Amino acid sequence: MVRLKYIIIGALVVVIGILAAIYFFPSEEKKIRKQFRLLAEWVSKDPGENTFTMAYKIKNIGTLFDGTCEFKIPVYSFSGSYTPEEISSYAVQGRLSFSQLYLKFYDLDIVFQEKGIAKVTLTAKLTGKSNVGEYIDEAHELESLLKKVEKRWLFSKFEVVEVLKK
Amino acid sequence: MALNKKMRQFFFPSLTPKFLIRVSAVALFAYLFFGHICTPLLIKGKSMEPTYQNGSFNFCWKWRYLFLKPKRCEVVAVRFAGSKVMLLKRVVALEGERVEFRQGKLFVDAKEMDEPYVHYPCHWNLPPRKVEKDCLYVVGDNRNMPIENHFFGQASMKRIVGVPLW
Repeated sequence: MVRLKYIIIGALVVVIGILAAIYFFPSEEKKIRKQFRLLAEWVSKDPGENTFTMAYKIKNIGTLFDGTCEFKIPVYSFSGSYTPEEISSYAVQGRLSFSQLYLKFYDLDIVFQEKGIAKVTLTAKLTGKSNVGEYIDEAHELESLLKKVEKRWLFSKFEVVEVLKK
Repeated sequence: MALNKKMRQFFFPSLTPKFLIRVSAVALFAYLFFGHICTPLLIKGKSMEPTYQNGSFNFCWKWRYLFLKPKRCEVVAVRFAGSKVMLLKRVVALEGERVEFRQGKLFVDAKEMDEPYVHYPCHWNLPPRKVEKDCLYVVGDNRNMPIENHFFGQASMKRIVGVPLW
C-alpha cells in the first residue's frame, strides 16, 4: 500500500515536471506560433478601443519585426521593405480607418529552413468594419519568414501567395 | 406502454457496448466522409452568379479528380488559403492553350467560345496568354464587374480539390 502511494506520488511529480518543462521551455515552433498570436492580437481592434490600449498595441507591434521586414501584399498595394517604426506607423494609419478589425492566423505550417530561419505558410483572415460602414471579410494564404535574433523570433518577410495568376 | 418504452429507448438509449460501438462507427464515418471526401461548402461572394448564389450551401466532392482530369466548362473548387478557404470557378482553358478576352468574349486558341452559363454583360479585355504546364485557367461566371475586381486566372492543378456536388 505504501509502495503504491510512492508510485502515485512519483508519477505525479514526473507529470508536473513534464508540464513545467513544456510551459517554461517552449519548443521553437510554439514560440513562433506565439509571435503570430501576438501580431493578430495587436493588429485587431475592438469597437470603442481606448487610447491606452491602442498605444500599448501600437508600441508593441514594432517589437515583433526584424530590422527590415519585406512585404509583398499586392492585394492592398503594399510592397517594399520597412523598419519596425514604419510598420507601427502604417499599423496606426490602417487601424484608424476601421471601427473594428480582427486578424486571425490559422493553418500554420512551420518549416525550419536553416538554423535561425523559419518559413511559415499560413492563412490570414481579416474581418472588420470600416469607418464608412463597409464590411470586410477576406482570407489569404501567406508565406512568412522569421529570423531568430537574440532568442526571439522576428518577422522578416510577409508575402501573399498568388493562387490565381491573371 | 411498449411504444412509450421504445420511444424512451430511442431518445435515451442505454450505454451498452453495442451502442457505443455503433456511435463510434457513425462518428468515424461522418468525420471521414464530411471531413475528407464530401466537405460542406458555404458559398460567399457573387463571382459564380447566377450558377451559384451568394450564401447558398453545397458540398465539395473531393474524389472527382481521383482518376480523372478536369475538363473545360466544369466548375471546380480551388484551394485558396489553408484547407478551409476555397474558390468556386469554371475551367475555361487547359494547359498549353492560349486564352484571351476581347470585348467580354472568351477566346481559346483564337477561337471564340460559347459560354451559355454567362448571363450578365461583360466588357473585359485581356491579352492572350498561354496556360502553363500542370495548370488550368479558371474564371467565375459573373463577369459583370471590372476585370481588376474579379479573382480569376491560372491555377495549379495541385490546388484543384474537387467539384461542387450540384
